[in-house]
Order: sequence, then structure tokens, then C-alpha cells
Amino acid sequence: MVKEIIKMEPDLQAIKEIQAIGADTLKKCYQCATCSTVCPLSPDEAPFPRKQMILAQWGFKERLINDPAIWLCHQCGDCSKYCPRQANPGEVLAALRLSVIRELMPFKFLNTFYNNLWGFPILFLISLFFILLAAIGTFGGIPNFFNAESFPYGGPSYEIWFLHLPARILMIDVVFIPLTVFVIIILLSAINRIWNFYLDTYKIPQAYRYKVWSILKVYLIPAIAEILNHTRFEKCEANKWRALPHKVLLWAFIILAFTTAIVFVMADILGFHTPWHPLLHPVKWLGNIGGLMLLYGIISIALGRSRAEVEKSVRTSYPDSLLIYLILFIGLTGFGIEIFRSIPSIKNATSLIYLIHLALVFILFLGVAYSKFTHLVFRTTAIVFDLYFKDITQKMS
Amino acid sequence: MKSLPILVVGGGISGITAAVEAAEVGAEVILVEKEPTLGGRVAQLRYYFPKLCPPTCGLEINYRRIKSNPKIKVYTLSEVIEISGEIGNYKVKIKTKPRYINDNCTACGECEKVCEGERVSDFDFGLKKTKAIYLPYPMAFPLKYVLDKEALAPGDLERIISACKYNAIEPDMKEQILEFEVSAIIWATGWKPYDASKLDILGYGKFSNVITNMQMERLASPWGPTGGQILRPSDKTFPKKVAFVQCAGSRDENHLPYCSYICCLASLKQSLYLAEKNQEAEALIFYIDIRTPGRYEKFLKRVQEEARIHFIKGKVAKIEEDPETKDLIVTAEDILSGKKIHERVNMVVLALGMQPSIAGINISGLKIDENGFVISDEGIIGCGCAKMPLDVMTSNETATGAALKAIQTILRR
Repeated sequence: MVKEIIKMEPDLQAIKEIQAIGADTLKKCYQCATCSTVCPLSPDEAPFPRKQMILAQWGFKERLINDPAIWLCHQCGDCSKYCPRQANPGEVLAALRLSVIRELMPFKFLNTFYNNLWGFPILFLISLFFILLAAIGTFGGIPNFFNAESFPYGGPSYEIWFLHLPARILMIDVVFIPLTVFVIIILLSAINRIWNFYLDTYKIPQAYRYKVWSILKVYLIPAIAEILNHTRFEKCEANKWRALPHKVLLWAFIILAFTTAIVFVMADILGFHTPWHPLLHPVKWLGNIGGLMLLYGIISIALGRSRAEVEKSVRTSYPDSLLIYLILFIGLTGFGIEIFRSIPSIKNATSLIYLIHLALVFILFLGVAYSKFTHLVFRTTAIVFDLYFKDITQKMS
Repeated sequence: MKSLPILVVGGGISGITAAVEAAEVGAEVILVEKEPTLGGRVAQLRYYFPKLCPPTCGLEINYRRIKSNPKIKVYTLSEVIEISGEIGNYKVKIKTKPRYINDNCTACGECEKVCEGERVSDFDFGLKKTKAIYLPYPMAFPLKYVLDKEALAPGDLERIISACKYNAIEPDMKEQILEFEVSAIIWATGWKPYDASKLDILGYGKFSNVITNMQMERLASPWGPTGGQILRPSDKTFPKKVAFVQCAGSRDENHLPYCSYICCLASLKQSLYLAEKNQEAEALIFYIDIRTPGRYEKFLKRVQEEARIHFIKGKVAKIEEDPETKDLIVTAEDILSGKKIHERVNMVVLALGMQPSIAGINISGLKIDENGFVISDEGIIGCGCAKMPLDVMTSNETATGAALKAIQTILRR
């Protein structure tokens, strides 16, 4: 029999990348496994984050992409609090998530823009470019951005098929519908890839590899129920405070998405066009409630993080800050539009705020695939896989 | 050699060694000890390294050498509070607490029989109570009783005075401040176990059967609280399955950032204590790395043959108690299998790290590092565990070295 020699080569480039993205303490870990034991979310059969720490120390990116555990981590911070080496496993796993997002997505330069402060102006210009291009196209030339009656509340109306679309609505549609389709396509392809990686990593027998539809039917619904309740997040000890604001924020996004959908159907398709009365229209009530929840959630997260940083139970890296401030300013500009347009003396400033709001929303939408925001998709995938894996292990035994 | 004496601070194995070595080549020595007796940590052990001798073996011969050498003056219940001056001529202030017992005491024990008041024995790490008037341990040096006045019950004082045939009890003794001029200072204040209650996830102080390794030494000691039986605190039964938690406080940036050197060996040694009592007893040693410095590797081999030990690579970070049996469930990630394990054991021993005895205490004129270890400086020479975590053998070697350094300060003048 030929003796097989397995030679492990560390991937130095990958190690440097991971360190640069917030895991600078990575190499302090000496593998005592305190973290895996104190972690309230780490399962008995495949504990984390001790194993992920050593994989990262060697730069084994492939192994980390294939590992749902990094997404099951909610960065409670218990591991970082008790780590005897101050190696901050919680922060390292956050960095690993960012690095996996980068690995899985096409057009990596976009990811670079999201992970560095210098990239923000570029992202802003990109989004402004698409929005202005659409504005010029739909408003029939450059509208006056210092007059609310010209932009966004002016411009021609379009009759396309049975649709009746004012310029500003058409402008949003031509920008955001393709953007959404683009983001959805690359995310679905990434989910498909990691799901297959997971199946191989955990050596799931063919007989238990169910069809997509049955996976969704059986496991996605309980996964979503769990996410809506934040069942896992609430098990955190060191950073217990994070679960509530995060939950409020999640619900805010759901309410706002629901509101947007109603507006899309009623205005874009059925022709009942906005602006609607901010105080009297029920859809506006819902939108305003969502907006307030969004602001409450994001401000609590920002304040809580700065408190936790003093206690050293959490560290905030640039990608964390970007997402926090992006959401905060989207909330503020959203309400800004509402307030400015209802006060005649300052109404004309609405145009600029509207423009900024749209640009930030553009960055957030694209960020669903390229920023920390992507956890929304991959964590859900990992939780679905976790439920699926637990279920079939039971069936197999 | 007609010169100022050498001051040795700390009457444990290192201080005793340094004092005897210096005095036996002719130097005058003042030996100062905080406790009522010499002996230090070694006196509390069941066996000590390297040869697993009982403490009587090393201490007794040294006590004889001290007794027969007029050049050594011993001050117990005494602490250095201030150092000034320079090499060759230090002025040292020493605070001596009253013993309330004079030199007439013969340790006959009559007083103890009539005394009713009790105090928690710190010598036994709280596992036992002694009378308010007590002998620190059977071979204490000086072999004299001590009185803890605050622990006396009403009427005790009259009873013990009348029970003492030698007029040895002096309830009016006062605290004294002594001043000495010395040529050099050997600092040998040793170590204390790290405060286990700071390790909140390990349940010490919360669960009765979670004990420290020094408590385990007392349980195994023939003059300990259980007469050497090793009985667990909750129900006084022999623990058949014991988990040893290595690096409890050591190698931990949140507690003691250094390796305490001896704890791995201590747990191995204590596995032998269990095997000595019962061949079936099992020891589970949860470790990060088993560290057996130098030739102690051989000891690891020996213990593996003589005791039933399971080594589990993975630090314990969770301990729960079964409220009915008071057994403990110890959780760790077994790194070699990559799975979490939950082991039910009868008792948990925390392999607590060593902290310098003077950590957190500010002594004017003494240099210490950020962890409280003494930094040798001109005529102030650190040795033993006051300098760094060590075993007994190496402590003694550093003590002999320190004695030579101290003698040099006298001869150079």
C-alpha cells in the first residue's frame, strides 16, 4: 500500500486578507477551546469557533466557505469575553463572514468598495450616476434639482401598455428593478454553491439530498419563524442587549418592504400615485411606523455598540459602521423627504434629500450582495441547513 | 565576617533555605515570616516534588539547622512594611502582630481542650475549623500555640489561662514596629493560589464539590481536615471520578497571563493520591498542553502507569451541578474528536495558578513587575516563587544563589 502524504500549505495571502478585514487578533489563538464551550449557540456535534480559528490561522478559505458554522455565529461576544488570549474569536468570525461573502460574489471590486472607507465615495458616485442617468432619461433632460416641483414632483408622465407612470416612478423602476434582479441572481447562484458545499462537507448521502422545493417547504418556514423570533440571538449572554434592537430592525425592514410592495402595486401598477397624505393614509401609517422602528433599532445598535466597545465585548470594524450609518441615514433622509415636502418654505430642499435618499438606498440594495448586509441571506441559508442537518441525522440514526 | 545582618523575608522553603545557607557560612540572618509558623506552602502539601517526599522530610531537618544556629533570628507574625537605604545599609521597618502566647508555651495542648470558640482554618483553606487557640500544624516552628482573640467565646480567656500550667498566655501583648539595619535583603515571600471565585464559569464557591488543588493537598494530608482520607465536601464520600481543570487562571490574559509551571505536575501527582486510596479511581485531566518541564517528563510516564488517567485536550469552560447528587457536569470541547463532551464527575479540582503573595500590596522600596513578582535590585534579591512560578527543587536552588549574592554584599565592603 502506498502511504499517502498530505502536505498542508498555509495560504499566506488569505491569512493577510482575513487579518486586514478585522481579524488582526487571529494569530493569538492557542486552541484551548474555551470559546466553543462558552458559546451558547455552538452545537455538541460540530462546535465552533475553535476549529474555525485554526482553519483561518492557516488561511484555508475553501474549508471556511464550506462551513455553515461561521453563519450560525451571531457574534454574541461570550467567546471574546472569556478568551484567555484576547484573540477575539467573535470578531474573527465576523471577518471570516466578510471574507466568505467576498469569495462567493462575482465582481470583487464592488466588495472592495464596501469594505474600505475610501470606497464609499465611489459607491456614492456609481449610484448617483445610474440615478441621474435615469432621471435625465425620464424627466426629458436635466431637471432642476433645487425645485421640488421640477424634481421629483415634475416631469412628464408615461403611458406604457396599461400602466400610467409619472417620471419619478419610471426613474425608480428603471434603476431599481434591474438592480434587484441583478442582486437576486447573484445571490441565488451563491446560495446554490454554498448549499452544495455544505452537502459535501457534511457528507450527506444521496438519499437524503432532497429537492429544493421540499427543503424550502420543510425547513425554510421553521427557519424564518426562528429568525423572526430571534430564538438563537436571544441565547447570547455577553451581548444580550443586541437581540432586541436587531429584532426591531429586522421587523422594520419587513414592514418597510411590505409598504414598498403595496406602493409598487397600487401606484406603479394600479395608478394610485403618491405622495399620499402622511397622516391620513393607512399605508403611510405603516411606512412611518416601519421608519420609526428602523431609527429606534439602528440608533440602539449604534449606542449599544459604543457601550460594548468600552467593555471590550464587541469591536466595530469599518464594514459594521458602514452598514449602521447607511441604515441610519436612509431612515433620516426618508423622514427628511416627508418633513421637507410638507413645509412650503423649505420644500425645495426636498429634491436634494430625495436624491441622496435614493443613492443610499441604491448602495444598500447592492450591499445585500456585497456588504455585511449579505448575512441576511447566508445566515438564513445556514440556519435552514442546520435544521435540515439535525433532522436527517436523527432520521439516519 | 563582622557586618550588618542579612534579612530574609518569607519563611517558606525558599526563605528557610536562604537563611540556613547564609548563616552556615557565618552571616548573621534575620528571618521574617508573616504567618505564626515557618514552613509556607510546602507544609500544606501531601507530597512535594521532585521525589514526592512528605513535607516533614525537608522541613524538619531545616528547622533543626535553624534551631542549632545562633546566627539566625526568627520573627513570626511579622511583615516588612518599608525599606529604605541602599545596598550594604538598608533600614527596614517590620510590623509584628501579637501571638498572645509567650515562650513558656510547651505546646502541651491543655488550653485547646477547654477553649470553645472556633475559627476557620486558613491553613486548611477553609475546609476545617480550629479552636480560637490553636497549633498551626503538628510540627509548627516555633512549636507554640497562637491565639486568635476575636474567635474566643465568652469565658474562654479565663478557661485557657487557668488551663495553662506554664503562664504562657499573655492577652495584653501589643503589635510592635521593629526596625533593623541590614546589608542585604533576600525576598522569598512565595505565592498564593489565585482567587478562584474570579473564574465565574468554573463554579468555585457556588458548588461545594468544586475545590482547588491546594484544598486537594489538604484533603490528602494526614493532618488535614479528613485525616488524609480524600472525602468530597458535600457528603464526605470518596470521589471515584475526579475532573482536573488545568490552567484555571493561568495562561489567561484576563487573569494570570503566565504559565504557573507546576499545576500540570500537581494534577498528575494528585491523580496518584486518588490511585493510592483506590485503584479504581479515575482522573480526567482537561488540558491545553500538558507541561512537564525538563526531567518531569518521566513523572508523566510514571503516573500514566500507576493511575487511571484520561487526558482530554480542551479547556473546561462550563461546570454545572446536579442538585440532587451534588455531582458535577463538566463541559469542554474534546479537540481531538472535534465534539463537545459533558462528563459527570464526583468532584472537580481546579488546577489554580500561582500568584505572588505580595500581588496587590505596595511595599515602599520594593520593585515588582506588573504581575507582582519581585524584581531583584542591587542588594534586594528575589528567590523562589516570589520571583517566578517554580517547583520546590528549583526554588531551593534560587534560594542558595540568593544567599551567595547576599553574602557578596557583605564581603565586598
